Amino acid sequence: MEGLLHVEDLNIEFHDHIVPETVVYDFDLDMKEGEIVGLVGESGSGKSMSALAIAGLLSRHDMKKRGVIRFEGKSILDCPREELRQLQGDEICIIFQEPLTSLNPVKKIGWQVEESLRIHTDLPPEIRKQKALEALKEVELDDPQRVYDSYPHELSGGMRQRVMIAAAMVGNPKLLIADEPTTALDVTVQSQIVELLKKINKEKKTAILFISHDLSLVGQLCQRVLVMKNGYVVEEGTVEEIFDHPKESYTQKLISAIPKCEGAQDTVKNNPVLAEVEDVCVSFTKRKGLKKETKEVLKHVSLQINEGEILGLVGESGCGKSTLAKTIIGLLKPQSGRVNTKYPNTQMIFQDPYGSLNPTKTVGFIMEEPLKNLTEMSEQERRALAEEMITRVGLDPMYLSRYPSELSGGQRQRVCIATALMLKPKLIIADEPVSALDVTIQAEVLKLMSDLHNELGISFLFISHDLRVVYKMCDRILVMKSGEIVEEGNRSDIYEHPKHTYTKELLKSAGL
Amino acid sequence: MRYVFKKILSSIITLFIVSLLVFVAFALIPGDPALSRLGTNATESALASLRHQMGLDKPLMVRYFIWLGSALRGDFGTSYSYSMSVTSMIADKLPITVTLMIYSLLLMIVISVPLGVYASYKEGTLIDRIIQIINQIVMAIPPFFSGILITLFFGMILRIFTPGGFVSISKNAVGFFGFMFFPSLAIALPKSAMVLNLLYSSLNGEKKKDYVRTAYSRGNRSKTVFFGHMLKNASIPTITFLGMALADIIAGSIIIEQVFGIPGLGRILLTSIQNRDYPVVIAIIMLVAVVVIICNLAVDIIYRIVDPRVEENT
Amino acid sequence: MKKQKKMNFNIILGCILLAITLIPALIGLVWTPYDPQKMDSSLKLAGSGIRHIFGCDNFGRDIFSRIMSGSGITVMIAVGTVALGSILGTVIGAFTGYFGGLIDEALMRINDVALAFPSLLLALVMVSLLGTGKYQVMLALGIAFIPSYARIVRSEYIRIKNLDFVKAARLAGAGDLRIMFVHILPNTKTVLLSSVMIGFNNAILAEAGLSFLGIGVQPPDASLGRMLSEAQSYMFVNPGYVLFTGATIVMIILGFSLISKEIG
Repeated sequence: MEGLLHVEDLNIEFHDHIVPETVVYDFDLDMKEGEIVGLVGESGSGKSMSALAIAGLLSRHDMKKRGVIRFEGKSILDCPREELRQLQGDEICIIFQEPLTSLNPVKKIGWQVEESLRIHTDLPPEIRKQKALEALKEVELDDPQRVYDSYPHELSGGMRQRVMIAAAMVGNPKLLIADEPTTALDVTVQSQIVELLKKINKEKKTAILFISHDLSLVGQLCQRVLVMKNGYVVEEGTVEEIFDHPKESYTQKLISAIPKCEGAQDTVKNNPVLAEVEDVCVSFTKRKGLKKETKEVLKHVSLQINEGEILGLVGESGCGKSTLAKTIIGLLKPQSGRVNTKYPNTQMIFQDPYGSLNPTKTVGFIMEEPLKNLTEMSEQERRALAEEMITRVGLDPMYLSRYPSELSGGQRQRVCIATALMLKPKLIIADEPVSALDVTIQAEVLKLMSDLHNELGISFLFISHDLRVVYKMCDRILVMKSGEIVEEGNRSDIYEHPKHTYTKELLKSAGL
Repeated sequence: MRYVFKKILSSIITLFIVSLLVFVAFALIPGDPALSRLGTNATESALASLRHQMGLDKPLMVRYFIWLGSALRGDFGTSYSYSMSVTSMIADKLPITVTLMIYSLLLMIVISVPLGVYASYKEGTLIDRIIQIINQIVMAIPPFFSGILITLFFGMILRIFTPGGFVSISKNAVGFFGFMFFPSLAIALPKSAMVLNLLYSSLNGEKKKDYVRTAYSRGNRSKTVFFGHMLKNASIPTITFLGMALADIIAGSIIIEQVFGIPGLGRILLTSIQNRDYPVVIAIIMLVAVVVIICNLAVDIIYRIVDPRVEENT
Repeated sequence: MKKQKKMNFNIILGCILLAITLIPALIGLVWTPYDPQKMDSSLKLAGSGIRHIFGCDNFGRDIFSRIMSGSGITVMIAVGTVALGSILGTVIGAFTGYFGGLIDEALMRINDVALAFPSLLLALVMVSLLGTGKYQVMLALGIAFIPSYARIVRSEYIRIKNLDFVKAARLAGAGDLRIMFVHILPNTKTVLLSSVMIGFNNAILAEAGLSFLGIGVQPPDASLGRMLSEAQSYMFVNPGYVLFTGATIVMIILGFSLISKEIG
């Protein structure tokens, strides 16, 4: 007996290059009605391609598909577009990673939520509007009428993703495909969206195909999991099987890359102070026409970083943590308060390894830049030091003559770390250093940083939105919200006895 | 409404700056207008009295404000070479040039928009290729050369109109509009190619956007996705370009008037530049500035209606 | 694969067109089949023939030789214009974009006005201030072109100065000038290159337009625009004069736009 969705031997080839490139090999999947299946893999594993093929959206002429996709007995791959159209938006709906770009920027939300009804039903406008408002209410948006009359850019990221879900659910589809729906959102919003999907599945019996790179989210939501790597499904099983008894080494690697919050011991140190921030306030003034609008980003922040420690700074996007980092390093001047750094050579590592390396310069040029500007070293000495440091971060010295575009994300971040090491700093400020990387690469870069900490005694201010990563890395942790530090404490205090409600909320969203 | 008000205010300030720059630039040109009017063998006292009569003995800023005051009342002074009121000289020729501009703008939209939309809708087909190739060639034709080609083709080979046979609207309205079609086409053709190109590439750019994928995922027909979703988004850069193209149409009309022998503003401007008849030059430049700035204002307002994302801080 | 082929086709065609037009122009600087200024009343408005392949103009001068030397002058003016406009525009754009502030706002205000103006009209004003002649035209057009480059470069600097690698360079101790010209400038090259290509076309158009109106290059110098305006008077007698001269302009512009389309 075939269930809701049957996929067999799906192969997807990409014909843009001289040699066709296969991106998905022999993909099999069976889904029953009302089931939630997770599809996990890192970027480039072929998970999104498979999902798009199932949704019938992979119609580009340079894509070749072979195999079988049947939805309720109807073949998706070779039915005419006109028949496929009847399923799309009615029986099969899909939501995407980036809700801002996935919504039409010049159309009102109401128009977009009603769209499936306009296409697939003959309902009169009043009923359509009523149904759209109901759908917006079901995704727990506070003021459905106001959202209905808004444009996408007027809503927050979480609200937009709710709108996408409402637009998908308005026609009561049997299958909802969610392609990385939480990746672009903040942690607390992420868990709300996951809860919402759970509720929809329970109340409407909608089957959900949940695609994510985040194994722990999949664990929270799904019943069954498929693990993909380089176009192959390497492992398949129930959530319990996958998490408790992973068979494939890749799955084991993925699971071990999720930082565990156990077994770490607090190392209480009373080392001398390395850097100190006293009562710092930073605000930005934006001219809005004739009026000036001042936004306070940091409100009376104080902290100190001790020698030999890794200090964690946790908070969601927009809470001011990057501004704090820039203030400490001297890229921004605080309006009031003081920043004391005892040693001049504080360095910084940025979040986006693609933006933080000059694309027109070689790795060697970038690494030697601080020596050129700040020291009297000769060319040979500079080159020797660059070779030493790039070897130290685990790359071959031949990379010195490469351009950043020739490196992978993980390699770029290693280059950034090596550059930071060039002036032999005591303190490195790392602003979300691994958030742009795949999980297995994350683990490698984190290991490199903790090795540098242990072997060279470098202190880190480690900034992240990810509580698990912070737990793994840091001795002491600060929690930041809306420009204020709301809680400060040793690792075990924060994770086991959180005092502030916001800390508790963050821990809950991270599933800790 | 506050937005519109603010835009109007800033347009007026801009216009004020332009007038100051233009007036000062022309006042600083070496040469004595009184001397050029009376000739080199005029007596010193005659020159001095003429300078006084023309207000040239006053300080620069005083002269500017006197000029601005009368300009605001519609009086741009007296032409050096024709000794007649600049305003009446311009007023005579203005309708001809304005007709040429509006005619070209309409032709430009009528030619470029349907073709651009059609070519993008049929992207990759033979007809798209053909449109692209012709478009690329037309884009490379300077407006005066397109004028010459049109004269050769329609005037000499097909004999649909008489080259140089301009008739004024009061004498023969049908003849006037019939004749003006050809110079307008000459201005519009190269510009249409640019608009077509822009519309085509912004439509093709929209095809790759995420929201288009969303629209398909809801079961829309390709036609609905194209016309219902993409067209409005793609029109945003095109509107901006149309606003800028108007400035080029003005420039084009100055040249095209020479090619077709049309007695419009362009001809007065050229003779005035050659005769160093600065009051006329300044007046025409200010007129162009007013038109350009009003058009920019209109574009800004239309832009805001089409694109909800434009915030007040622009 | 298919895409690659089409791209090469555009570039190849563009290069061929430029070769056909610019190589004779270069040769024309040192040698032409006939003296472009030599008049011969017996050859007045002669059509194409074996001795004079493009025929002769109203003074009996060889049109082919005149096109060779005329396109040389046109291209020279265009190169000078683009060089002047892009270098000054880049420096102004770099400083205003990088530092921002009050001077930036004031300059950009003037810039916006200048940009809104038809560039031909701006050049007309400049010519009436500077006078006519080929160097005056070059200077007038060059100045008229500064605002567009300043605007493009400025917005690139505003975009790039907020990227992390610029912050990283500052942390590496680089000074403002070093950041502006060593770190940021190379990153503007794609945008700058394509606007130089487009600017080159606009310069050819603008020069031809000015000379066509009789206020650009002055006799005895011949430029393509100047020749076109002379040819226009005789287009019913010797249409070859108009067509060959016009086709040269179209081919130069088409060649550049085909290449810049692929590069930009």
